[in-house]
Amino acid sequence: MAVELIGVTKRFGAFAANDDVSIAVRRGEIHAIIGENGAGKTTLMNVLFGLLQPDEGAIRIEGKDMVMADPAAAIAAGLGMVHQHFKLVPSLSVAENVFLGMEIRRNGLIDHAAQIEKTRELSERFGLKVEPTERVSLLSVGIEQRIEILKVLARGARIIILDEPTAVLTPQESRELFQTLRGFVAGGMTVIFISHHLEEVMEVSDTVTVLRNGKHVATRPTAELTKADLVRMMVGRDVSFARRRRERTAGSVVLEVKNLWARDDRRLPALRDASFTVRAGEIVGIAGVAGNGQTELAEVLTGLRPASHGSAVLKGRDLTTQSPAQIREAGLAHVPGDRMVRGVDGGASISANLLMGRQTRAPWSRNGILDWQVAASQAADMIKRFDIRARGPQDTVKRLSGGNIQKVVLAREFTNDADFLLIDQPTRGVDIGAQESIHDEIMRQRAAGRAVLVISVQLDELLTLADRILVMFNGRIMGEVDGDGADSERIGMMMAGVEAGAATGGAAR
Amino acid sequence: MSDRLRAVYGQLLAVLFALAIGAIIILMVDESPVKVFMTLLRGAFGDQAKIAGTLLQTTPILICGVAACIGLRGGMFNVGIEGQLFLGGFAAAWVGFALPLPAGVHMLVGLAVATLAGAAWVAIPAFFRARYNTNEVVSTILSNYVAVLLTSYFTIFLFKRPGGWSETPPILPTAYLPELFSFSRLNWGLVIGLVLALSVAWFFRYTSKGYSISMVGSAPKFAEYGGVNVKRQGFLVLLVSGAVGGLAGGVETLGVHHRFMEGFAPGFGFDGLIAALLANGSPIGTIVTALFFGALRSGSLLLEVETTASREIITVIQALIILSVSAQVLMKRRGDSTAGERRWKF
Repeated sequence: MAVELIGVTKRFGAFAANDDVSIAVRRGEIHAIIGENGAGKTTLMNVLFGLLQPDEGAIRIEGKDMVMADPAAAIAAGLGMVHQHFKLVPSLSVAENVFLGMEIRRNGLIDHAAQIEKTRELSERFGLKVEPTERVSLLSVGIEQRIEILKVLARGARIIILDEPTAVLTPQESRELFQTLRGFVAGGMTVIFISHHLEEVMEVSDTVTVLRNGKHVATRPTAELTKADLVRMMVGRDVSFARRRRERTAGSVVLEVKNLWARDDRRLPALRDASFTVRAGEIVGIAGVAGNGQTELAEVLTGLRPASHGSAVLKGRDLTTQSPAQIREAGLAHVPGDRMVRGVDGGASISANLLMGRQTRAPWSRNGILDWQVAASQAADMIKRFDIRARGPQDTVKRLSGGNIQKVVLAREFTNDADFLLIDQPTRGVDIGAQESIHDEIMRQRAAGRAVLVISVQLDELLTLADRILVMFNGRIMGEVDGDGADSERIGMMMAGVEAGAATGGAAR
Repeated sequence: MSDRLRAVYGQLLAVLFALAIGAIIILMVDESPVKVFMTLLRGAFGDQAKIAGTLLQTTPILICGVAACIGLRGGMFNVGIEGQLFLGGFAAAWVGFALPLPAGVHMLVGLAVATLAGAAWVAIPAFFRARYNTNEVVSTILSNYVAVLLTSYFTIFLFKRPGGWSETPPILPTAYLPELFSFSRLNWGLVIGLVLALSVAWFFRYTSKGYSISMVGSAPKFAEYGGVNVKRQGFLVLLVSGAVGGLAGGVETLGVHHRFMEGFAPGFGFDGLIAALLANGSPIGTIVTALFFGALRSGSLLLEVETTASREIITVIQALIILSVSAQVLMKRRGDSTAGERRWKF
């Protein structure tokens, strides 16, 4: 066994982040540790790496009992940890970052040539392509991660822990990372991989350990499990992401977008000639790889970005000439894609966040004076209705988990009685259990006769929710697909820029 | 609530840290820190007259502090309060000596004109901020120098009292802010400051407009998304902040000096800004911090009489407070785990 954790318990006050967790990791395997946010994955790894001291339990590395007093002890024992948030110095070169704190010296000075040489050698040996002399600030996130891994390798790690390594990567970069990891275990190293992205776990790991509420649920070979099994073990119940059953309820046109163009922040055309409608009682999905004009579309529709051409008419009012306040008045509710920037004021209370957009309306405000009591009691209602896990209306929003913050935004926007809902990335960074309840809520809005436009980079989500799916590529709408029986292959082709007709033709052949 | 307590605790720590370093510096000039601090305390609160003297110094710091709070809460860093104070002070003096009016009305008109002068002065940077997004910190700092020199010019070349100092003629007694006690020049200005602080605090907490403005201050993109006209609010916030800065000058002229003189009321604008920063932009907190800085100023008068320490030690302590408060802000930022959300940006 490369790593054994035996009965590890870590408490923070009365709360046990890890409760009697025992895991054995075999040498030469990729061992995934999965669980929802707050299940105790990161705490457990911090205990293993000496960043936290356990209250009970023991750690064995290669069969030997170890006390991980600090990360130095863990590194000496052959462990290396790649954190979720990179700890690189942007102004230094790749090689300087790799050897930071353990510089190769010659005559008391840093031997840059040797560091560069050594970095290049490591990078070639492990297939982690980097240019050692390049400045870190100029590199992409995927390459930054390679540097983090190189740092760990340079310190002689044989057991590598990666905390949510793919959260920041594009699918392409993730695939390259997996290849590297397979190379590691083929060479006799051991990889521990924390994730809550199930496809990846299924794809790359040999063994899976599931944690829930700080407790160990199961450790099994990945091959014996299905995705549904994993979800059930993580959440503790069955969660369905099958397509939601529905009646056709599409009514009159609520939003009509015609030949809409807009520029991005660099003044380049980012939205090109988009035309579509959204009807009452239907969910229209916008699919596409991030950065293909979806953000600009959302911003134009909400008045946060000017359109350069075209119109977007919401119940007879052209939104392109209106301010955000006027558009809200016309009947828009908006769940923004970057919730921490646009969606909430993290430092304010839940009450105060739920008040936004209503601060001048009764009953929240009378004659310009706010009624905080009404705000608090409504907030309490919404906390209950949307199942927001918080201590109460006065709780500071930034203290909540990502899923609960998203629910605060949804609660505010869905209770506005707006006819048109624009939901950008409904479940980004949200736990599986919470995802399901958010989807339920969106379906309820549809049933209530609202016109819903859902923008998502997760195609699965649109296949679950949407009546019609529009695919965006390079600022254009490439085509439309009916939600029932939608073919993800075909949508994928359109997302990559292949015309709808051509895609069908390709499939036919 | 615990958040607020923690903030107060942090600021307290910053002040204690500054005082500790101050003590070391006092030791370095061969004086006893205990003696210096005791002298300061006695100089500030030793007897009735000294307490009144402290409150007299506190008044302009408090009003300038409230001006700064308005800016800070609305996301605007008005560093030009000193200049607004000077212009307000001059404007009030002009009304006082050049515009005979009945008692009471005269004083009110003086304060009103001072307020307008402050607002007019900040309108220039505020306009450029709203129209061209110029950084208001830079433009308001620079406007200070222009304001101080402009009022000097007015005083020396246009409105100088014949003979004597570089000062305007004295204002008519009809424009005096009434004094509170017979034994001190302490006047109704303090009451104006306290009422102002309480009403501004109330405004931000309990009005729709106050809510919108403080959201612009703490989360501008969120406010914009929620339908608040961010540019317009920013402009108004600077305007009101400058108006209150002008009012501080009017109070100082009509309450204390009864004339405008070159270099009048030095540093109150900056002290007010520091007081507001130390109070985290809370007007109520600013009452406390303004009192603290007022006490330092008034206590320091006794310092040079009774100890070998220079009065400048007060400036040193203030500078240390600024440093430790801003260090604390930086540390807080580093500790914040906004990084968790960062990964969702593409």
